[in-house]
Amino acid sequence: MASTQVLKSRIRSVKNTRQITKAMQLVAASKMRRSQEATKASAPYTLAARQLLTALSSHTSVKNHPLFTRRDIKTRLLVVIASDKGLAGAYNSNIMRLYVEQLKADDNSSVTNTTIAIGRKAAQFVARIKDTSVLGVYEDLPDQPDGSELRAIMESIRTKFVAGDVDAVDILYTDFVSSIRQDPTIIRVLPAGFEHAQEAGVASDVTYEPSTEEVLDGVAYRLIGAQIYQALLDARASEHSMRMMAMKNATDNASDLIDDLTLEMNKARQSAITQELAEISGGVEALNE
Amino acid sequence: MHLQLITLAGIKVDDEIYEMIAPTAAGEIAVFPEHEPLVTLAIPGAIAIRHKKGDPDNRLEYFAISGGIIEISQKAIRVLVDEADHGDDIIEAESQAALERAIKMRDQAENQVERDHAHQLVDRHQVRLKVAELRRRHKR
Repeated sequence: MASTQVLKSRIRSVKNTRQITKAMQLVAASKMRRSQEATKASAPYTLAARQLLTALSSHTSVKNHPLFTRRDIKTRLLVVIASDKGLAGAYNSNIMRLYVEQLKADDNSSVTNTTIAIGRKAAQFVARIKDTSVLGVYEDLPDQPDGSELRAIMESIRTKFVAGDVDAVDILYTDFVSSIRQDPTIIRVLPAGFEHAQEAGVASDVTYEPSTEEVLDGVAYRLIGAQIYQALLDARASEHSMRMMAMKNATDNASDLIDDLTLEMNKARQSAITQELAEISGGVEALNE
Repeated sequence: MHLQLITLAGIKVDDEIYEMIAPTAAGEIAVFPEHEPLVTLAIPGAIAIRHKKGDPDNRLEYFAISGGIIEISQKAIRVLVDEADHGDDIIEAESQAALERAIKMRDQAENQVERDHAHQLVDRHQVRLKVAELRRRHKR
């Protein structure tokens, strides 16, 4: 049995660890709430863009627009969203598993692919894989990315798609279903899909300047941007939520460990006392004889 | 006339106004009540809002916007932009420093993705700087 000294110092170090994991848990919880609120804030934007698109579709053919054009898929661009930091449970490994599945599927149907990695963990993972080429890497995006980062990502994928370098663009991210459930998900952003809005908020006798085509271009671009933004925010909320759970488990484990160690230390102390008493009474017996 | 300024981060303005000046692909336009219905493209720049008729220029409210779409009907304007920063939140010296950093980053970019990112940052900070200057000029 280990000495009480050793056990004491182990208990102290586990207590320190517990303090840290507890703090991380609380931080992650509050960040998760903020990300969750942000995911809701972009809803009016998406709705307005969809209404505009519905109104436009009665004036011009949406399907012929370059961003809506469907081609046979020979090359595919995958945008993988993971985290910058670890200690988030299975967050990164889940999304990477989905990514590897996609790469395998492409391999089997002889589709070549290229990747944009968002988040340091994604970048490190993608860099080790030989099946894909890396188009670019984004690291240290803020919790609520501003428009410049979003537009940069948009610009990269739009140029690739319109130029015909890639025939489809998919985003791999973790969908935030609830604070206890997050699913790795893949969505296709290009070629763009088109859903009619319930009610068109735009009058029919509207002038479009400079032209319907150019306005359509702007609207389509915004809709796709909103999709990517939503994915980024969802991924962030999922990350914080999974980190919160992971840190909660770590805190619970540390507490269990402290209990076990305390029990062991008490036993060690008691056995030391018992032994000492036995020695003393043994000594007294010896003196009496 | 009702104005809604909708961004990805939420609705920034939802208010009755008198006049809005906005940068579009065909130059700056000023929109007053009873404007003819129009949908047009906004370019990065400064939006100025006059809340009441007769408000002086130094009471104008400014927003630095990225590109987007402006939708005008008889009684309402809807501005759909990726982001809009309120003029009061922009600090000129900070924007200047950020712009210089962005330009440096653009010059040192190693691949297309980095270059795209830096380009966007340069645009963003140029617009913010412009808004800061406009405000300073009118506050005098």
